[in-house]
Amino acid sequence: MKATTKKAFRDLWRSKAQVIAVAITIMLGVMIYIASAGAFQNLSASYQATYDRLNFADWTATGGDTDAIAQAALDAGATDAITRTQVDPPMLIEETKLVGRTIGVPTDAHPSINDVDVIDGDYLDDGATDQVLLEKHGAETFDLEPGDTIEIFAATGWVEVTIQGVVDSPEYLWLARSSQEIISDPNSFAVVFAPEESVQQWFGVEPNQTLVVVPNGADARVATDATQPWETDTGVAVSDAMTDAGASAVESQEDQPSNATLSEDLKGFDQLSVAFPALFLIAAGVTSWVLLTRRILQETPVIGTMMASGAKRGRVLRHYVFQGLLMGGVGAILGVALGIPANSAMTSAYTGFIGVPDTVVLNYPWMLVIGFVFGITVGMLGALGPAITASHIAPAQAMRPASNSSTPGAYSRWVARQTWIPVSGRMALRDIVRSKRRTFATMMGTVLALILVLTSVGMMTSILSAMNTQFEDIELEDATAVAQAGVGAEDALNDVDGVETVEPTVLGQVAIEGPDGSYKTTLTGYEPDTQMHCFFGPDGEGVSLPSDGILAGEFLAEEIGVEAGDTVTISTDAGETEVTLVGFLNEPLGTSAYATNATASALLPDEGTEAFALAFDEDADRDEVRQTITQLDGVVAYQDVRAIVAQLDQYLGLFWVFIGMMILLGTVLALAVMYVTMSVNVVERTNELATMRAAGVPLRKVAGAVATENLLATIIAIPFGLVLGVWAAAQFLASFSDDLFTLEPAWGVWTLPAAAAGVLLAALISQWPASRAIKKVDIARVVRERAA
Amino acid sequence: MTATTTDRGVHLTGLTKVFGEGDAAVHALKGIDLEIASGELVVVIGPSGSGKTTLCNIIGGIETATDGTVTVAGEDISKTKPSKLSDFRRDHVGFIFQFFNLIPTLTARENVEMIVEMTGRGDNTQVAAHLESVGLGDKLDSFPAQLSGGQQQRVAVARALATDPDILLADEPTGALDLPTGRQILELLQELNRQGKTIIIVTHNLSVGQIADRVITVVDGDIESIKTNETPAAAADVTW
Ligand SMILES: Nc1ncnc2c1ncn2[C@@H]1O[C@H](COP(=O)(O)OP(=O)(O)O)[C@@H](O)[C@H]1O
Ligand SMILES: [Mg+2]
Repeated sequence: MKATTKKAFRDLWRSKAQVIAVAITIMLGVMIYIASAGAFQNLSASYQATYDRLNFADWTATGGDTDAIAQAALDAGATDAITRTQVDPPMLIEETKLVGRTIGVPTDAHPSINDVDVIDGDYLDDGATDQVLLEKHGAETFDLEPGDTIEIFAATGWVEVTIQGVVDSPEYLWLARSSQEIISDPNSFAVVFAPEESVQQWFGVEPNQTLVVVPNGADARVATDATQPWETDTGVAVSDAMTDAGASAVESQEDQPSNATLSEDLKGFDQLSVAFPALFLIAAGVTSWVLLTRRILQETPVIGTMMASGAKRGRVLRHYVFQGLLMGGVGAILGVALGIPANSAMTSAYTGFIGVPDTVVLNYPWMLVIGFVFGITVGMLGALGPAITASHIAPAQAMRPASNSSTPGAYSRWVARQTWIPVSGRMALRDIVRSKRRTFATMMGTVLALILVLTSVGMMTSILSAMNTQFEDIELEDATAVAQAGVGAEDALNDVDGVETVEPTVLGQVAIEGPDGSYKTTLTGYEPDTQMHCFFGPDGEGVSLPSDGILAGEFLAEEIGVEAGDTVTISTDAGETEVTLVGFLNEPLGTSAYATNATASALLPDEGTEAFALAFDEDADRDEVRQTITQLDGVVAYQDVRAIVAQLDQYLGLFWVFIGMMILLGTVLALAVMYVTMSVNVVERTNELATMRAAGVPLRKVAGAVATENLLATIIAIPFGLVLGVWAAAQFLASFSDDLFTLEPAWGVWTLPAAAAGVLLAALISQWPASRAIKKVDIARVVRERAA
Repeated sequence: MTATTTDRGVHLTGLTKVFGEGDAAVHALKGIDLEIASGELVVVIGPSGSGKTTLCNIIGGIETATDGTVTVAGEDISKTKPSKLSDFRRDHVGFIFQFFNLIPTLTARENVEMIVEMTGRGDNTQVAAHLESVGLGDKLDSFPAQLSGGQQQRVAVARALATDPDILLADEPTGALDLPTGRQILELLQELNRQGKTIIIVTHNLSVGQIADRVITVVDGDIESIKTNETPAAAADVTW
C-alpha cells in the first residue's frame, strides 16, 4: 500500500467516531432515498400487478345500448369488451342499512374484465341465483364471512342472499362510491358481486355498463408518446367509438375513482421521497466538509512540508478528496445494503395497510446506482473544498508553529473590555467569531437538524390541525341521514337516543363550470342560521350563507378561473343553472360548495328524499345510533363523520409512516451532525485544551468551557434554523396541497419551542462524547507532538 | 537545608519509564536517582531522544513512571491516579512549552486570568503584576497575534507563574526563539529563580547549562554526569 493511502486510512481511523458519524449520515440519506423512491415505484407496480392479473378495464362506459357499444369498441380495435349491470340499492348488513352497490358477474366463469380475487370462500356456483361475493372492505367493516347472509332491497322487496366468497376487486382497492366520495364512512357503502341474471331480474334493468380492454402493445404507445394503453391512438378511437355508439359517459382507468385516489395518494409521497433524502445528503456533505477541513487545518505544517519538498498540488488535492471518497463509499455501500430491506419493508407496510393484494418488491438497479453515486459524490464534494484549501497551502506554512489567527478585530477588543464576564465566557463569545468556518459548521448542524425535524413535525401538526379545524370548527354535525320524503323522518330522528339536534340539509353532486373548466363536487344546503356548519372566508373571518347564490372552497378560484361575485354554471342531472358564486371558503378538507337549503334544492334534481344533519349528545353510542337510524322506516343512507376521519387516517397512512420515520431519523441525523461538529471543535483545539489540562485545570472546567462555546453557537443558530425550517415545511405543505387537502402551516404553541429545546438537548448530549474526547486528550502526546 | 525545604524539591529513586511492550518496548528512562532541592535552577541536557522530555513530564505529572518513586513538593506521585494528577499539577507545577500554546482569542491578561479562573488557584488581582514581572506591563490587552514570539513566551511564563507553583518546568523554552529573545527568556527564568522558584529547564542546547546551579546530562535514559556550577553565568552573557 502506498504511504499516502496508508495515511488516508490512518487519518480516518484516528477520528473514527466522526468518520462513522459522517458515514452514518450518508448511509441514512442513501438508505432513505432507495427505500422511499423504491417504495414509490413498487407501490405503483403493486397496483399494476393486481390490475394486470385481474384485467382492470381501460375504459368503462355507462349507459346506452351496451351490446352496441361493446361491438363498437371491438370494431375500433379493443381486445375485449364485456357488458354488465350495476345498481346501487339499499342493503341491510348486520343491522345496518346502507346504500350499497350490486355488480353483475357471470356464474359459469370469472368475468374476463374487472375480475375478482377470491380471498375467502369460493366463487359463485354455476347457475346460482342467491349467492353473492362480498368485496373485502365490507367483510372487514361488518365482520362477515362466507356463509353469512345479507339483504338487498330489490324492486319486489328485500331479497336475502348468501355470501359465497369474500373478494378483492381492482375497482375497489380503495373503497370509493364515486370520484366525489373518495373519503366516506365505510359503514355507509358496500359492494357485492351477484349473478348477472339475478341483478337484472331483481331490479328489472338491462345491462348498463360496458368494460373494455385496449391493446397494451409497447409499439402503440411509443408511436404516440402515450404512457398508458388508453392514451394510444387505438385507445382514444375506442373511447370515441363508444361515445358515438350512445354511451352517456366513458371513464378511463386513470379516472376510475379507486385508482385515481390511490395515484393521488402516492403523488404527494413522490416528492417527499426525493426531498427528504436530499436533506440528509446535504447534511452528510456538510459534516464531511467539517471533518476534513479540521484535519487539513491541523495538518497545515505537514502539508506545507510536503509542498516544500516539491509535492504537486494535484497530488495533495487527490489525497484529501480520496478521504472523502472513502467516507462516502462506506456510507453509500451501507446505505444501499440497508436500503434494499428498507424498501421491501416500506412497500409491504403500505400494501398491507391499504390492502393491495399484490406486493411487488423490486430493487431498481438504476436507483441503487443513483443512491450509491449520490453517497460517494456527497463525501467527495464535502472533501473538495478543504482539499482545495490544502493544495494551496504555501511551503512556508511548514515553518510556522501555530496556525495563528489574524489580529482580532473591534468585536474582540470590545469583548475584552467586558471584564464583568468571566474569562471563559469572554473566550466563548470571541471564539464564535474566531473561526467563522467552525462556528458556521456548528450552526449549520443546528440549522439542518431543525429543518429536518421541523419539516416532518410541521407536516404532521399542519395535517392534524387541518383535520381538527375541519371536524371541530367547521363540520359540527356528527352524522348525516337521508330518508324518503314524507315519511316523517325528522321526528323519528329526533326521537333516537343519543341524537341531540336534527336539522334539514340538502345533499347533491354538481359540476361547477367557469371560464377555465369544470369541477365536480358536492353541493350541501343548510338552514340560513345553521348550527351544523361554520363558514370561514379566506381571511379566516366567519361568513354566513348568502340568501342567493353559493359559497365554495378556495381551490375552485384557480381551478375553473373564477372570482368572488362571478356567475358560474351548476350542472346536475336536472340540468344547468346559472348562479352567483358569492364568496370563497377556507376549508382544509375537500373543495365543496354550499348554499341555503332553498337555493340548493332549487339547483339539485328532486330525488324524492330529504336529508338531515345530526348532532349527537356527548355520550352517544355511535354504533347504536347508526343501527337505530339506518333501520328507521324510509332512511336510505347514513354517514358518520367520525368514520370519515378514520378513512382519512388510512388515506394518510403512508404519510404517517413516512413522517414517523423522518422524525426518528431526523433526530439521529441531528445528533450525528451535532456530534461531528462539536467533537471536531474539541479536536481543533487540542493544544489549548492540553495546555489547560497541563496547568491542572480540572476536566469538568475544560469541558464546560468548550460546551459553553458549542451551546452558544447552537443558540445563535436556532433562530435561523426555526425560520428556515418553517419555510421548508411551508414548501413541502404547498407541494402536498391539492383540491382534497388545502394545507396551511400550523404550528402548535409548543412545536417551535420544543424543536428548539430538542436541538439544544441534542447539542447538550453531544457534549458528552466531546468531553470524553477532552478527557482522552493525551497531554503528553500533545506536548510531544507540539515540541516536534 | 531544612527538612521542609527539601520536601518542596524533587526526589527521584530508581525512576524507570518504558514505552510500549515486548519487542516494541522503548526504555526511555533506566533507573534515575536524582535530588533537586527547592530553590535550585537545574538544566537537563542531552541529545535528542535521550529521555529529557520524559523526565520533565514525569516530574510535572503529565506522564506516569513505570517504576521507581517520584516525590515532588512533598507528594509521592508515582502511585497517583491520572485523574488526581490534575490537582497535583494545579497545586505544585507550572509548565512552559516550546510552543507557547496561547489561546489566540484571549488577550495576554486574559490568557493568564483564564488559568486562575479555571484552576481556582492564584489571584486574579495579581495577574497584571505577573505580566509586569515578565516585562509585559504595557501589553496586557494585546492578543497573541499582536505579540512577538518572545513576548508570547513571556505570557506563557506569566501564565505558569499565575498558580504560584513550587516548581517551574520549561521544556525547550527557547527552542522556537532566536538568540536574543531566547536569552531574554533565560534571564527571566534566572530572575525568577533568584526570587526563590525551583526551576528545571530541559534543553538540547549545551550553552544553556551555563546559567544553571547544576547541569544534569542525560544520555540514553541514564544520568551520565551531574556538574555543579559554583558561579552560574548570567543569562545575558550566554551565547550559542
Ligand atoms: N509515547 C511514546 N511511545 C514510545 N516511545 C516514546 C514515547 N515518547 C517518547 N518515546 C521514546 O522515548 C525516548 C525518549 O524520548 P524523549 O523523552 O522525548 O527524548 P528527548 O526529549 O530527550 O528528545 C525516545 O527514544 C522516544 O522515541
Ligand atoms: Mg524533548
